[in-house]
Amino acid sequence: MNVALATSEIPTGRDELWRYTPVDEIRARIERSVNASHIGPVSVTRPLIDALTGTNRPRLVFVNGFHAADLSDLADLPAGVRCGISDPLHADDTDDADDPVVADVALVAIAEGVRLDAPIHVVHVAVPDPLTEHCVLSLPRTVIEVGEAAHLVVVETYCGLDGSMLPTLSNTSTTIRLGDRARLAHYRVQTESTTATHVGHTRIEQGADSVFQMTSVTLGGDIARNAVEVHLDAAGSRTELAGISMTSGSQRHDTVVTVDHAASQCSSSQRFAGVVDDHGRGSFNGEIIVRPGTTATDAHQSSRNIVLDANAEADARPWLRILADDVRCTHGATVGRLDDEALHYLRSRGIALPQARAMLIDAFVRDITDAIPHDSVRSHVAALVGAAAAAPIPVEPHR
Amino acid sequence: MLHIANLHVSVADQTILDGLDLDVPSGEVHAIMGPNGSGKTTLSNVLSGRDGYHITGTVTFDGVDLLPLTPEDRASAGVFLAFQHPVEIPGVGNMYFLRTAVNSVRAHRGLPELGAGEFLGVAKEHMARLAMDPAFLSRSVNAGFSGGEKKRNEILQMSLLEPRLAILDETDSGLDIDALRVVAQGIERLRSPDRSMLIITHHTQLLDDVRPDRVHVLQGGRIVRSGGPELAHELEAAGYENLPSEVSV
Repeated sequence: MNVALATSEIPTGRDELWRYTPVDEIRARIERSVNASHIGPVSVTRPLIDALTGTNRPRLVFVNGFHAADLSDLADLPAGVRCGISDPLHADDTDDADDPVVADVALVAIAEGVRLDAPIHVVHVAVPDPLTEHCVLSLPRTVIEVGEAAHLVVVETYCGLDGSMLPTLSNTSTTIRLGDRARLAHYRVQTESTTATHVGHTRIEQGADSVFQMTSVTLGGDIARNAVEVHLDAAGSRTELAGISMTSGSQRHDTVVTVDHAASQCSSSQRFAGVVDDHGRGSFNGEIIVRPGTTATDAHQSSRNIVLDANAEADARPWLRILADDVRCTHGATVGRLDDEALHYLRSRGIALPQARAMLIDAFVRDITDAIPHDSVRSHVAALVGAAAAAPIPVEPHR
Repeated sequence: MLHIANLHVSVADQTILDGLDLDVPSGEVHAIMGPNGSGKTTLSNVLSGRDGYHITGTVTFDGVDLLPLTPEDRASAGVFLAFQHPVEIPGVGNMYFLRTAVNSVRAHRGLPELGAGEFLGVAKEHMARLAMDPAFLSRSVNAGFSGGEKKRNEILQMSLLEPRLAILDETDSGLDIDALRVVAQGIERLRSPDRSMLIITHHTQLLDDVRPDRVHVLQGGRIVRSGGPELAHELEAAGYENLPSEVSV
């Protein structure tokens, strides 16, 4: 197949950050794929997007990486907020003009000093091709720019068609730039179909004294990789990353985080929770780099995982590269099981096993969902996580 | 109501209950006393459906074989265990837990679900009687509760679930005098002609407030002696070691 991979970063050789990702399988899938066409499938309608992501506005919708103006809704954006397709000034790739257009670039930009509390939604839908049944490869790209001292909330959603048995492959790239003293709350929700392959990469560059808060929720995909790379290049910036990943069936989720402390007086936290069920596999690969010459660094990382089935597997790998002295750094990784005593306690009160189990799975990730400060996002995420927690039990445990 | 015959329970080849026989008729309150390691908690675990035990013998509840039933089916049938060590479950709200439990059991009994508002009213009423702050509803199940608060939460669950057989496993242990009185009153209030209770305890104090119809002594995995409420005081005076070993069930 003739495939263009504008945002590909998939390695050919050995790369520690791809340690748990089935690279060969992804490459094989890419080989079998065809590039998405900019003519969007007619099957994707406004009510469908509403059903997949809620009716929240403003929203910017892309189908297989291409802007779908008729599905987007950008009315009443306040002054100083730009939302649309990137113009060449904002395009951050250096493609030759002769290259085929592989995707539009979603742009959300907020001007210096402007503060917007209501979340802006960027929705990327991966839609298969029912005619050829070839795997459709799309390259969704998003750029978020937060001006100096501006405040912004962005919800990025990657979704697919529920119950679709046809394959899609999304190789996504999001670039986020925060100016000095800027603040961004960023949510990344991935609920693509279980036949989808998702290779996602988010790069964050922070200005001085800026605050970046991200919560990622990875539920969909057959193979799904969520890579987050934070560059703390200016003093006094803070980054708070949190994430939930839940697998069932034979899903594979990889969460790969790099926080690069290249400036002094920066703080970072990583709180990730993984739930693996059935034949699922989940991994957390978390890297903290503290560059030489930096001072007063505060870096924390925790990865908690539960394995619900004997056939499931979870891996957690902290990777610390501390090259400075003035550092406060903590990390912890746990892999455990559902608490049998708690399960029995709930059941002994008449709560049936599937519901008791769902309550405990939900409770395991609750500190992360509860910490989401935006009400509409919190309830949306809580509902998604609750539904994933209540998924059918693969093999009933004893009794 | 509860009929136990020749119950043998072992864990990894270690025998814990060794031919236990017990009958608790409808409406009666029976106490089981016994030294540490006599099998008291194993008995309550087995009755509640905890797995991990090798079990032979007969346990029926209203003629229904209890042993093959799941813990949730036993609860729905009206069996309730007040745990010796109530489990802390961070992340599960107490209110949500209690309402889910009550509605699960109600569904089994063919009763309509209680809505959130309706349930809140009922729960607060029950909590007031147990001198529990309604703030406990908004906390996680038992998480960070003191020993006394956990035991009150057990009695609260019992009163909300209205079981027909309540097994109280050392509900009195670790309670101060005031908490013991509140818990005892809570238990006494639930005493009714169609509810049986099995009180497992080390101490006679609770039995002064909740006077049992029968007292059984569990030792070496079986009932070695049964008698009226006075047996509890005899035990307190003589200790288990010096108890005459006559068997009078």
